[in-house]
Amino acid sequence: MTPWETVVGLEVHVQLGTRSKMFCGCSTAFGNPPNSNVCPVCLGLPGALPVPNAHAIRLAARAALALGCSVHGRSVFARKNYFYPDLPKGYQISQFDQPLATGGAVAFESPERGRMTVGITRLHVEEDAGKLLHDRFPGKTAVDLNRAGVPLAEIVSEPDMRSPAEAKAYLTTLRQLLVYVGASECSMEKGSLRVDANISVRRPGETKLGTKCEVKNLNSFANVERALHAERARQVGLLEAGGRVTQMTLLFNAGTGQVKPLRSKEESHDYRYFPDPDLPPLVLAPAWVKEQEHELPELPDAKRERLIASHGLAAYDAGVIASEQAIADYFEAVLQAGAEPKAAANWIINDAMTGYNESGEFRVPPVRLAELIRLVARNVVSQQAARKIFPELGNDDGSVQAVAERLELLQVSDTGALTDWVDEVLSAHPAEVARYRAGETKLIGFFVGQVMKRSQGKADPKGVQPVIVGRLG
Amino acid sequence: MTSVPIHAEVSRREPAGTVARELARRLQSAEPLNATLHWSQSALDAEAARIATLDPASPLYAMPLALKDNLVTTEEPTTCGSRILEGYVSPFTGTAVGRLRDAGALVACKANMDEFAMGSSTEHSAYGRVKHPLDPDRVPGGSSGGSAALVAAGVVPAALGSETGGSVRQPASFCGVVGVKPSYGRVSRYGLVAFGSSLDCISVFGRTVDDAARVLSVMSGLDPLDATTVDRPAMAVPSPLRDLRGLTVGLPTEYFPADLHPGVRAGLDRTIAAARELGAEIREVSLPYSRYAVPTYYIIAPAEAAANLARYDGVRYGPRRVGSEGDIRSLYRATRGAGFGAEVRRRILVGTYVLSAGYYDAYYRKAQAVRALIAQDFQRALGPGGVDLLLTPTTPTPAFKAGEKTEDPVAMYLADIFVCAISLAGLPAMSLPVGRDQGLPIGAQIIAPEFEEGRMLAAAGALERVLGAAEEVR
Amino acid sequence: MSIGREQVLHVATLAEIGVDEADLPRLVEQLNRIVSYVEQLDQVSDAPAEPFLAGPAATLLREDVVAPARLSRAPAELAPEFRDGFFLVPRHGAMDEG
Repeated sequence: MTPWETVVGLEVHVQLGTRSKMFCGCSTAFGNPPNSNVCPVCLGLPGALPVPNAHAIRLAARAALALGCSVHGRSVFARKNYFYPDLPKGYQISQFDQPLATGGAVAFESPERGRMTVGITRLHVEEDAGKLLHDRFPGKTAVDLNRAGVPLAEIVSEPDMRSPAEAKAYLTTLRQLLVYVGASECSMEKGSLRVDANISVRRPGETKLGTKCEVKNLNSFANVERALHAERARQVGLLEAGGRVTQMTLLFNAGTGQVKPLRSKEESHDYRYFPDPDLPPLVLAPAWVKEQEHELPELPDAKRERLIASHGLAAYDAGVIASEQAIADYFEAVLQAGAEPKAAANWIINDAMTGYNESGEFRVPPVRLAELIRLVARNVVSQQAARKIFPELGNDDGSVQAVAERLELLQVSDTGALTDWVDEVLSAHPAEVARYRAGETKLIGFFVGQVMKRSQGKADPKGVQPVIVGRLG
Repeated sequence: MTSVPIHAEVSRREPAGTVARELARRLQSAEPLNATLHWSQSALDAEAARIATLDPASPLYAMPLALKDNLVTTEEPTTCGSRILEGYVSPFTGTAVGRLRDAGALVACKANMDEFAMGSSTEHSAYGRVKHPLDPDRVPGGSSGGSAALVAAGVVPAALGSETGGSVRQPASFCGVVGVKPSYGRVSRYGLVAFGSSLDCISVFGRTVDDAARVLSVMSGLDPLDATTVDRPAMAVPSPLRDLRGLTVGLPTEYFPADLHPGVRAGLDRTIAAARELGAEIREVSLPYSRYAVPTYYIIAPAEAAANLARYDGVRYGPRRVGSEGDIRSLYRATRGAGFGAEVRRRILVGTYVLSAGYYDAYYRKAQAVRALIAQDFQRALGPGGVDLLLTPTTPTPAFKAGEKTEDPVAMYLADIFVCAISLAGLPAMSLPVGRDQGLPIGAQIIAPEFEEGRMLAAAGALERVLGAAEEVR
Repeated sequence: MSIGREQVLHVATLAEIGVDEADLPRLVEQLNRIVSYVEQLDQVSDAPAEPFLAGPAATLLREDVVAPARLSRAPAELAPEFRDGFFLVPRHGAMDEG
């Protein structure tokens, strides 16, 4: 049992899913030739002025509401002043002491402490900086401003997490909520979700926080966890050797798993925040905020509870269905088409999710899955056979029954045909027949299985058993 | 040099080409003033050709207009009077200039100015000072000194300048022309190179009140590209009043100090007498916080400027220098160190200082609070139970001599003592030439409540008729 | 409150403006002159809490439509140094996040 308590807070930046930039009409599209999505405003040309994107505000407000924050009717844009080649104006338009939203909480499953919440200190909107490429031209840094001005929401958590694993779990739920309400794509690979982690350690029972350090350059949730382990170890090592932790920023190296202080930061930044005089306050009517709240979809936790309560789904199954809006929508559509909920859930989790995870869509139309479930319920096809039919339902246009016929998977319940198969099996396994007749009645399962095999799954298992019993006397 | 507006001389049948040729002649002969930074025959011809395709009934058809060189255009460089933008040609034109062009205005040239609009004499231009048209040893005022001089010299009938702390009214007073600052938010700043964003106003010089009013009317109105423009209809051109009966005019005691320059005093006495004769009721009012206007301004404007000028870093445009270390930081420091003049550098440093950690509350936050008090003074004086207009001197003295105030930066700042408070309050105001003192023009300042430019211009029109701008005041 | 030489250098660093050693004494003097002039605001005690707001009370917003403002000259024509579509700056330096 380690004598150190770990305290973690996370700052997450997400790119809001708008078509145009935060303060100008340039496209936010990823992957265009460098410096092609630019204009006087995002280039920081003399005489240009910013005008905020209404949809970015809307998405940020929805994100804030999904995180349980209060969205303020009046918030103020502020200039954060510093010099860097990816920052065209020499300042970033952000928000400082009057942000868009404050005071939320995210509930999630901590691997160590079970169900818990992490406080959300604030959510504010700001513009992204451009991109720098250091290795493209020798001795030079290349600057691409396509990304400069893309809308971001910055989400700051309270230092409520107590382990790297907990941080990862928080991030997973945070991401889920933001994707759910359509605020952001939240892809760490594409850079639309970035994490800066703050971590300190202290003795258990101590109420004062230790000196925190910030770790940056984290490109996956797994690496967030690894980086926090590395930094925790560094701080503990320092303190146990009698030293003190100095506040600093470190970069994580995914290859080595090490953290390294940022090279020669001469002094910590003095950002000289002040309200941006080019932007009057952002005023949001209470009715508009209410409307955003109304338009929020049912969130994962509530949805999961409802699926358990209304449809009797198992907790795990309900969790999977509720984990993404797209899965939940598919589930609802399959129910709408008449399927029984538990069956629908089973089919989605066991059969449809593979294709969804690969391609991002459900190839089998909901009505056809519902039809397939009905056919199984009516014994027209066996469950086993249905699982072979399912993958075809994304391609074929005919009725589900016709597909089953084409694949020769219609269940055979005809006693004559069943009897033929049973006789074949019994004559192929005389030893087992003898043992059955000697009293090992459990072998009935073996015989049924053999008939299913011989019939290539077409035999109706419910009809097979009585035939076998009849044959064996 | 003639003093008649040249567009009035020209026949409407072939206006643009003739105007262009006459303009070139006048610009050429005005070269000794050093009032222009960029003009060319080809640019004038191109403008003329463009205007020839427009409806001759357009509000400003073939009206020549000089543009202060902090208004971006795509045809010629925009340097803001600075080395750091030497040779910079903007890839876009601003809204105000666009509206004026669409209304038929002919852009004559880019006018010289104090670097980045920081100054009160146009002695801080990196391209040499501008000479006062009536006395080459004197300054035309600033920062829009080039624009003022060109109108005063009869080269153009009107010109655009910009105001942050009085940079159009003050040179208008020094040069003996009309200078009008609209309410903040009345005219789009998209295309005006930012200095003090909460103060900057594109403003107009004219030989007559009517010319200035017409230009202002065309430019004004909401712009979706500028979030600080107000949602009001464009300002209408008022008809000048026949008299001032029914109007109350306030004289703020703080703007008539006992040691006011005698020529300025005489000019104002003359104006007050004329106003009385026209039937205005004259009252004394008080604006006690105006005495803090200049120090308040010299905290807020430099702070905003320090951030607005951070973009001049040699990365994306403009000339570039790299220091001996050869790294990105030395790029910034060398480019900016060499590119900015002494006054700009002083203001950026002051602005950075007053925003920096530990000083923000004492300086910047305090200044914003005092600004509110200054604005309240005006709201009270011009509000219900108050007066309709205020009348003050525009400047404490007539045009001073070049070099007289360049030693002590604060001495230069005090030139704006009567115009500055109005900028902080965001109000409309103008300078009207009311006479001369030993040959040097004297200006009177008229201040109106927010968005009441029409009232101010109408009253000024009445005064203009009775006051001879070239007459000696004492 | 007077500003010392070190402070002026610190502010010059924040503002990324190179100052020659030779210019420094005069600059320090002038900045002190300006700052002591503006310090008279200390005399004002009854300032309201709300700062003055110039212009509209609320910002206007724009619709989320891709409609970039036209550039009559491309970035390549504006830039001091440009290659393969990128603005170029010197690489190594104190800001390098190695």
